[in-house]
Amino acid sequence: MNAPLPAAQPTTPDKHLLSVLVRDIVQEYPADGGGLTRVIDRVSLTFDKPGINMLLGPSGCGKSTLLHMLGGVRPLGVKTPTSGSVLIDGVECTGAHDDSVMVFQRYANRPDLSVFDNIAFPFRLKLWKSRVAEGEWRQRVGDMLKAVGLSDKAGLRPAQLSGGQNQRVALARALVLRPRILLMDEPFGALDAQTREEMQRLLIELYRSWPCLVVFVTHDVTEALVLGDRVIVLSSQPARVADDFEVGEPRPRSAEWQRSRAAQALEERILNQLHASPGKGQVRVTL
Amino acid sequence: MSEFWNPYAPPDARRRRLLAVGTVLTLLLLWSAVAASGLVSPTKLPAPWQVLSAFAYLAWNDGDSLLLTATLWSAGRLLVAGALVIAIGIPIGIVMGAAPQVNAALSPLVDPFRSAPVVALLPILVMWMGIGEAMKIAFLFIGAVVYLIPMVRDAIQAVPQSYWIGARDLGATPWECIRNAVVPMAMPRIADAVIVAFSVMWTYITVAEYVNAREGLGQLIQNARRFSAWDQVFAGIIVIIALALATYQWMLWLKRRLYPWETQQ
Repeated sequence: MNAPLPAAQPTTPDKHLLSVLVRDIVQEYPADGGGLTRVIDRVSLTFDKPGINMLLGPSGCGKSTLLHMLGGVRPLGVKTPTSGSVLIDGVECTGAHDDSVMVFQRYANRPDLSVFDNIAFPFRLKLWKSRVAEGEWRQRVGDMLKAVGLSDKAGLRPAQLSGGQNQRVALARALVLRPRILLMDEPFGALDAQTREEMQRLLIELYRSWPCLVVFVTHDVTEALVLGDRVIVLSSQPARVADDFEVGEPRPRSAEWQRSRAAQALEERILNQLHASPGKGQVRVTL
Repeated sequence: MSEFWNPYAPPDARRRRLLAVGTVLTLLLLWSAVAASGLVSPTKLPAPWQVLSAFAYLAWNDGDSLLLTATLWSAGRLLVAGALVIAIGIPIGIVMGAAPQVNAALSPLVDPFRSAPVVALLPILVMWMGIGEAMKIAFLFIGAVVYLIPMVRDAIQAVPQSYWIGARDLGATPWECIRNAVVPMAMPRIADAVIVAFSVMWTYITVAEYVNAREGLGQLIQNARRFSAWDQVFAGIIVIIALALATYQWMLWLKRRLYPWETQQ
């Protein structure tokens, strides 16, 4: 089992300042053969406290596009968003935001760097070098290695690790910055079922030591119910908010709970919402 | 024993070596047979043993090694030109690959030269720079840099965008993305470009030393040809091939040492 994340200053993100407002977002892309395709249709959301927020929707519904607007890197060559705005702590966010870090499905680990150097990568950049002293970040990288259970693999290269271990490196690199916002773009989608469950447990543990605002994109209904404090269901393209509810059950959520009537009811509710908005995308249920 | 018609099942190292040595030995035998039969005049095709004795003569005669001196001169020119190719060509290629607008501006200067008759530039270089060392270095430099720059540019453009996006998301400035994420990932292919550049320079060395060289392997071959010493011409060519091959093998070894992760990806 992984050691808990050791306490350091500050121990939690600043709860008072945290607010992410998504206001009336519309996103359109030029369609093949002229015209415009609307992928996101007037989505408004409010995130005002730490928690794991699941953005659940069929594949290709525009949920990743939406996620990238919450302080991630926006695609080039297209105005993003077409209309509407995202405010982080009241300030309009137009691109990569210092307080938010993204974990991708393809973990983007550098094959030429060791596990340690991959996690320490941000501290090569001016932004973080100026904010965190070397002694401090070395300590943090060591702590993160422990927290994700890779202390004995610090010197290995990504090619010597499994897919799950690589995703642990990516997760560690994001959390080593102690972000107030953690964006996860189907991070476990490429992993096998068993590894995915391990990673979900790890995320729950990491979240307990660093309770920030997590926005987690998935097309897996089970994943949404196992992880989410809040589940936001998006319809198939164009994405609209089809449902938005909280899951009160404390984590980790046992297999018994997942089979319970309450959980089944939530699952049915989600599937009904998605079926009410027929489209080409697919959701997955792994129960 | 691997299947014959199966590109995915190469024979083991020992068998590969055996096959390679077999080809070279067969060729040498054929060459010897033709030379010994007297079918071809020795002035047109010297026998292997004549080439060998010419090699011995060039390597050591009268307390002096013409071959060593010539090799040092040629290798020296190659190294100076190679250093310039690396110092000038790689930065230009990186900037072209990293900044599409620079690429658009410079590609009409760079791309056509890949198929340009570089050898035909020699008289122009002589006209501009005279017949000294500068002309020879410049010729080698141009001959190699026109291959290197597009290869470096392509190496940069071949780096998956995910590395760029990942660094950008972590707060890297655009230049930091290039320096800290894109260039390191392109290094193995940039090293390939340097290896090609040195191979190209070895093939051009005789041309570079064609005009007014008092030293060098090209001059040695020129000189031998003037006196119809074909055995020495053959010996000189074989030495150049051997040096080019040794350079290639050494650089490939160095590249694998520097970027062992490339093959693990």
